Amino acid sequence: MKIFIKFDFTQFCSTILDEKLDELNIKYRMLNFGEIEFLEPVPPDKLKAFDAILDTYGIEKIENQKVILVQKIKDTLIDMVFNTNDAINVKSSVYLSDKLGHSYGYLSNLFSEVTYTSIENFIILQRIEYAKSLITNTGLSLTEIAFRLQYSSVAHLSTQFKNTTGITPTAFQRIIAKRRELKNNKD
Amino acid sequence: MMPFKSIYYSERFLKIIFGFSLFMVLVMGGIAYKHIRQLSRSTADVQHNYEVHLELEKLLSALKDAESGKRGFIISRDSTFLEPLLLSSLELDKNMEHLKFLTKDNPEQQKNIAELKAKIVKSLDIFKKTLDLAATDNLNSPEFIAGFREGRQTMNSVRFKIIEMTTHESDVLGTSKEKSSKNISNTPMLLYYVLILSLLILLLTYLQNSKNLKVLKEKNELLETFKKSTTQSEIISKHGNWIWHIEENTFEYSDNLYRLLGEEPQSFEANLANYMDFVHPDDVDKLTEQVNKMMENEDLPFIHYRIIQKNGSIKHFKAYGKLLIDSDGHKKILGTTADITDEIENYRLIEKRNLELERSNKELSSFNYVASHDLQEPLRKIQTFLSRLEEKEQDHLSNNGKVYIERIKSSSTRMRSLIDDLLQFSRTNRSEEALEDSNINILLETAKHDLVEIISDKRARISSDFIPSMKVIPFQIKQLFLNLMSNSLKYSRELTAPVITITYSQTKASDLPKIKYSKHNLYHTITVKDNGIGFDQDYAEKIFILFNRLHNKNEYSGTGIGLSICKKIVENHNGYITAEGDINNGSIFTIYLPLS
Amino acid sequence: MQEDYTYVVLADDDEDDRLFFVEAFEELKIQTRVDIYKDGVALMDALNVPDSVLPNILFLDLNMPKKSGLECLIEIKSNNRFKDIAIAIYSTSASEEDIENTFVQGANIYIKKPSDFKILKKILSDVVTINWQYHTNGLDKDNFLLRL
Repeated sequence: MKIFIKFDFTQFCSTILDEKLDELNIKYRMLNFGEIEFLEPVPPDKLKAFDAILDTYGIEKIENQKVILVQKIKDTLIDMVFNTNDAINVKSSVYLSDKLGHSYGYLSNLFSEVTYTSIENFIILQRIEYAKSLITNTGLSLTEIAFRLQYSSVAHLSTQFKNTTGITPTAFQRIIAKRRELKNNKD
Repeated sequence: MMPFKSIYYSERFLKIIFGFSLFMVLVMGGIAYKHIRQLSRSTADVQHNYEVHLELEKLLSALKDAESGKRGFIISRDSTFLEPLLLSSLELDKNMEHLKFLTKDNPEQQKNIAELKAKIVKSLDIFKKTLDLAATDNLNSPEFIAGFREGRQTMNSVRFKIIEMTTHESDVLGTSKEKSSKNISNTPMLLYYVLILSLLILLLTYLQNSKNLKVLKEKNELLETFKKSTTQSEIISKHGNWIWHIEENTFEYSDNLYRLLGEEPQSFEANLANYMDFVHPDDVDKLTEQVNKMMENEDLPFIHYRIIQKNGSIKHFKAYGKLLIDSDGHKKILGTTADITDEIENYRLIEKRNLELERSNKELSSFNYVASHDLQEPLRKIQTFLSRLEEKEQDHLSNNGKVYIERIKSSSTRMRSLIDDLLQFSRTNRSEEALEDSNINILLETAKHDLVEIISDKRARISSDFIPSMKVIPFQIKQLFLNLMSNSLKYSRELTAPVITITYSQTKASDLPKIKYSKHNLYHTITVKDNGIGFDQDYAEKIFILFNRLHNKNEYSGTGIGLSICKKIVENHNGYITAEGDINNGSIFTIYLPLS
Repeated sequence: MQEDYTYVVLADDDEDDRLFFVEAFEELKIQTRVDIYKDGVALMDALNVPDSVLPNILFLDLNMPKKSGLECLIEIKSNNRFKDIAIAIYSTSASEEDIENTFVQGANIYIKKPSDFKILKKILSDVVTINWQYHTNGLDKDNFLLRL
């Protein structure tokens, strides 16, 4: 038998970080996901031990300021796509610069420089990913998914889905279903 | 079957009627016999009565004769008067005897006769006495007078007795007469009624009979026709019939069964041994086993075997038998034996053809693979190297070299589209599993999307109706729209922005052009109309034929496969596609897909 | 990401295609390490060396001698050690059914080899970028299906 699980990566990481930092007796404050503020200077040997621990969990310390800002942009955008229902009323550019306190032009350039993709593409990718998770994890119809993701029509969703992934939502649905069937047959 | 049943019932009815009539006639005869006997008895009674009367009359007249003779003698003294007296006394005895005989069954009369006889004897005595007195002329003697008076009295009493007897006899006659006359008067009436009833029954029987006869006749004719047609069908469909009477263990073979064996009809006795002579030696055991099973189970499932005709040709037979119990309860197996040699030969031929087809299909699919992979690969490399040349070596090429590269490029592009279209065509196959409920509008959008560049380049406008969902092979329908729209865009008029109008409606099968018979009633009708260069309506059929191009390939870039693919796709969906062209005004493609 | 580059591996029996592949990555600005194998057997032998560094993206030609791309795919998918490798099928052409089947068997990406070098570069860059995004943004890799 096989079961499918979903886990909250954020919560998982936070728990590990909390645990390890306490273990090393470092005073800290968790600001946002992926951002930790040390409340007092940390000796280099402790810092090294912390890096080593993080490495065993596959967590990497980001030191570049640009990368940190990009990560913030991503978090904001992901939050916008997945969690807010009203954000689409405001243009994503306005939303971003309001939240992060930088001009959109600056953010956009920075983003492309670090990720090799544009903010617009990133948003589309995230929306399509959201659509994918809705297709695989819920019984919602494409029409309902298009409505929930605020696409003007199913056709629009299908087209963007096809443009982003190269396959149609129906084919995607079919492939995922067949994969599960194949897995179940193997077990 | 109904008439046969009714005949069966009417036969029972007839039996009942016949029995009833027989009974009635017997009853009638009995009654008549009884009545006639009664009649003859009463006639005998009358006769008897008459004889008794006569004897009594004779008796009385003999006495009267004796009386008057006595008186005559007394008056005339002529002894001739006494003659009747002598005679009558003789007569009297005879009469008495006769009477006694006649009335021997009647005790009362016997008694009367005895009394009468005594009286007669007494009166005769008195006669004699008076006569003796008269002869001695003692006429005035008181003895004579007393005798005479007594004679008169006795005579009178005799007369009274006779009258009494006559009356009694008349009474007896009267009662028996009354009795018999009553019976006799009823007899004709009864006979009449019985006759009428019998006639009615007869009439009914006749009607029923004639009706049955008619039905029987019809059935007979039908049977005759049926028999003829069976014989005919036996010959045409190469089968023969046989019957196995289970109880008698005898066989009947139809004429054609003999013909199937290559023999003249009924040319040998129908039995198992004779039949087995024809069976192929390899199949004898098998068939014997199955026949034994048939005799055991009284049933014969489908069996196959071979026979060899006398001319040596081997035939394949198939036989089947079913138990039938007729109305008399006799069991028989009705069997059919068919010559399936042709079928088997056809089957073998089909099998062979199928194998050939399979082989050629395999060849075709390996050709597909060659086309898709092996042909495309070198072509793709040529094109990739060309793109490398263009990009990296541009500066090292002369102008001529650049032109040549351009030519190679366009040739290889054309070769690519030919290969792609050919593959598309060969892959456009029908498959039931691939059918799914699809949103046609989305498929149309996807097709449009593939053409986005050429649409914006040509500033084309495409409008479409809402099209309801259909059960289709999605990628094929998308391909259909893609091909039709790219066709319209390709054959657009110079300097005129292409306008493509896609409309939807429904058409009744009866209103479909070309199509006469269809198992579907309604058709989805999708028309794709453009304002392009159009075509001559004479070519409306031709444009769907593979590699058929109406234009020089330098003018327009088509491969001549696109519309053939359209046709194939529509036909895969049990539909039809038609084209209408108007030179320089545009063309209309109409797709009819069955509405299930 | 343990390293600052993307490690890609290609298994293809065609010399020209291997050349295009390597040249394309050379011309792309992305930091990559590219390894090449001439057939499926060579690839699997290399992958199966214990503690070997595993590629981020593995490009598989379908039509290879000895061991086909599909066989490699099935083998890789049945080994839990390789679960993090994104698999890209890199083929000349195939029918819709074949393409869908590779996805069902666990491929993430299906690439039809293009006939233009510029397009090839674009495709390979897209693949690396999108894979990078899946990797860095914690996206559900089970839903990673891409056809180019």
